[in-house]
Amino acid sequence: MKHLIIPILSLILLCANFSPTHAQTTMDAIMMPKGDFCLALTYDHGEWDEYWEGSLLRTNGNVGTLTRTTITPMFAYGIFDRLNFFLGVPYVKTKSDGGQLTGVDGMQDISIALKAELMDKQLWKGKVYFLPVAEFSTPVSNYLSDYAPYSLGLGTNQFTLRGILQYKLDMGFYLRGSAAHIWRTETKVERDYYYNNGSYYTEWMDVPNAWNYQATAGIWLLNNALKFEGNYTVIRSTSGDDIRPWNGGQPTNKVNVDQIDGAIHYYIQQLPGLRVLAYYSTTLEGRNMGKFTNIGGGITYQFNIL
Amino acid sequence: MKNILSLILAVLFLGFISSCEMDLLTEADYTDYEFSGLDANGGTWATTLIATPGTIVVAAPTDVTSAAYIAELASLKAATTRLNSQQIEAIEYWSNNPILRWNEIALELAAKYNLIPAPNPDGTYTLPSSTDPGRYPNFPFAHPAYTCRMLAYLSVAQFDGLIVAWHYKYTYNRVSPHQADNTIPAAYVESNLPSYPSDGAVIATVSQNILSAMFPLEKGYLADKAAEHLFSLKWAGLNVDSDITAGSFIGTEIGKLALARASTDGMSKAQTPKPVSDSIKTAAFDRFGWQWDNLEAPPRPVGLAPLFGRVRLWNLPNVELTRPPVPPAPGSAEFLEDVEELKDIQDNMDDEKRKIANWWSDGLGSYTPPGHWNRFAKDFIIKYKMNPLRSARTFAYMNMAIMDAGISCWDAKYYYHYPRPIQAIPGFKTILGTPNFPSYTSGHSTFSSAAAEVLAYIFPNEAATCRAWAQEAADSRIYAGIHYRFDAEAGIDQGKAVAQYTIEKAQADGAN
Repeated sequence: MKHLIIPILSLILLCANFSPTHAQTTMDAIMMPKGDFCLALTYDHGEWDEYWEGSLLRTNGNVGTLTRTTITPMFAYGIFDRLNFFLGVPYVKTKSDGGQLTGVDGMQDISIALKAELMDKQLWKGKVYFLPVAEFSTPVSNYLSDYAPYSLGLGTNQFTLRGILQYKLDMGFYLRGSAAHIWRTETKVERDYYYNNGSYYTEWMDVPNAWNYQATAGIWLLNNALKFEGNYTVIRSTSGDDIRPWNGGQPTNKVNVDQIDGAIHYYIQQLPGLRVLAYYSTTLEGRNMGKFTNIGGGITYQFNIL
Repeated sequence: MKNILSLILAVLFLGFISSCEMDLLTEADYTDYEFSGLDANGGTWATTLIATPGTIVVAAPTDVTSAAYIAELASLKAATTRLNSQQIEAIEYWSNNPILRWNEIALELAAKYNLIPAPNPDGTYTLPSSTDPGRYPNFPFAHPAYTCRMLAYLSVAQFDGLIVAWHYKYTYNRVSPHQADNTIPAAYVESNLPSYPSDGAVIATVSQNILSAMFPLEKGYLADKAAEHLFSLKWAGLNVDSDITAGSFIGTEIGKLALARASTDGMSKAQTPKPVSDSIKTAAFDRFGWQWDNLEAPPRPVGLAPLFGRVRLWNLPNVELTRPPVPPAPGSAEFLEDVEELKDIQDNMDDEKRKIANWWSDGLGSYTPPGHWNRFAKDFIIKYKMNPLRSARTFAYMNMAIMDAGISCWDAKYYYHYPRPIQAIPGFKTILGTPNFPSYTSGHSTFSSAAAEVLAYIFPNEAATCRAWAQEAADSRIYAGIHYRFDAEAGIDQGKAVAQYTIEKAQADGAN
């Protein structure tokens, strides 16, 4: 029997698929100067042994504990001081220790993004920043989105528009908020009939659009070598159906998530441009989604060729 | 710089938005059409639930020159004027072949109710109860056995009802309202089909009654559907009230007979208690030295419908006639060869095999394999422009063969009680979930092969296509890792053998 849950959160983050905290990402307010490159490699281990079927949190012995490993190589470039470009492609591997369904692995979606700094204005003892971000992602392999809970991703093209507002005190403390809307195209599945509160006679499934919000507090210490950050991240689908009782999930599901995380970033003083980071996140609330706990880390190297 | 950024954003965004929002079909995309024939002798065709059409007595209608009929025409004319958009949509939706729509409704309810019970917190399972359908797990669990039976009763009742309707149509030959008074608009392609009794009303009423019994929690939904359908007959200018009353009467009477048969066909005993299930398993072990076990966590104590193989057949004289030969014993050379094939497929899964496995998966939450074949039949009916009577005939023979095939398959499944690949092959993983019943023979193969044979008989031009689909459906289970090749091959042969009995009946029913 297919006891399957939603394929994971979509790729809403670039350098940091599924772990909203690190690196110069499309989620933060950091800009690289013109001509700078950043290469990054992050590793994420997520797992859950409970999931939300609609709003009911339950276990499923035929899945047991599901694990999802994501390795993301990323590249960023400073086109201008105030306009940065990003590109990333995660590799994802999923499996579970219950039941007899096979896990899958492969390259997921390629993301490209542009982040601009439209405002950095002195205010009291700090600065206010405003940064819009546009991001596009599309699958790079023929993975099956309709294979919950093991699927690598949603199998759609996604377009995200984000606005980031940050206030940073000169002493290093900062608060940040961001809001994004994610538009998603339909995903092509490998059957041409499915139930989504009614019959559908098509190979295409409507994947809900979503809002994504994030509130962040962080601080720079040790002369900007060390950064601590905490995030509260929310995803709210604007439509979609619930996983039916003891049934498999599918890409049409309404996925909601409330997640918190903490991250630490360290810029290695002896090796200019090199940074390491680590984070931990956990899911507080959800809908049609695994109750994920994630732990991850990465290394980034920033350099200038000009 | 801001301008460049704005431009890039605008292009990306517009390009993206314009590529989304496709139209996702929720029902067959067809409109009313001219029937390829009217089958004026349809009232003489063989019936299944009644001996002859005259068993159901329908009085002669009033003459088209009578005051009563003229009053009915006036009422109809009023009903066809100033239609609102909802009424116009209803006319288009129900069309002049509403058999197709009721079949779609049946498939939708199958998919809605095809949900397997979840375990209780203490690891036990509760079964759906027909006497308390609203308690979780809701009744019914519309698994393939339940669904094939539901579809058989629905289509056989529709077919018998329409034979009765045709019998009286061509006995009384009442002209259509539009022919009686050409100021009454005809929403559909005109035809010379006599209008009394209304074939649409037969279909609406009998379908509502059968489906309400099969899906008791949907009574309200089905009543709304039937009411809209019956009203649409008037909005479309198709039938006067007396046509509709007579049609509904036939539908009611045939529905009672069909449900009387259903109430005593043995289905209520198919899902056995554990001691009976255990004795069936022990009998198989004693006979053959193997047994199937459910491997879910927690394990389900009883497989799906162990005694579905004893349910009353339609056209197959007895279930032993098509019981397949003993499968290869676990560990035998033939068995190991098919196991090697399964391992090889899973180790080297490719896009084509994955797609075939998923395309035919028709698993939990779907309309099941019988539903899939009903969908094919619907598409052929539209392609070949069948009238409602001939459409009902197609569904009835196909669904009788599918149900007989299901009964025959379940007989084999629980007689041989053969372990699934996940049980027989240590560490074996699959790309689809393994169902809660024994392996031999493959249900997909048996259902599909029986359905394909009947469709091949009815649509000779599509015979090769249908048989290729059945073979692909059989192969799909091997690719999915949930059946051995010998399960699939035996299932194909079994379905074919079962279907012959239905085809022989169809060949002699007077419709050829």
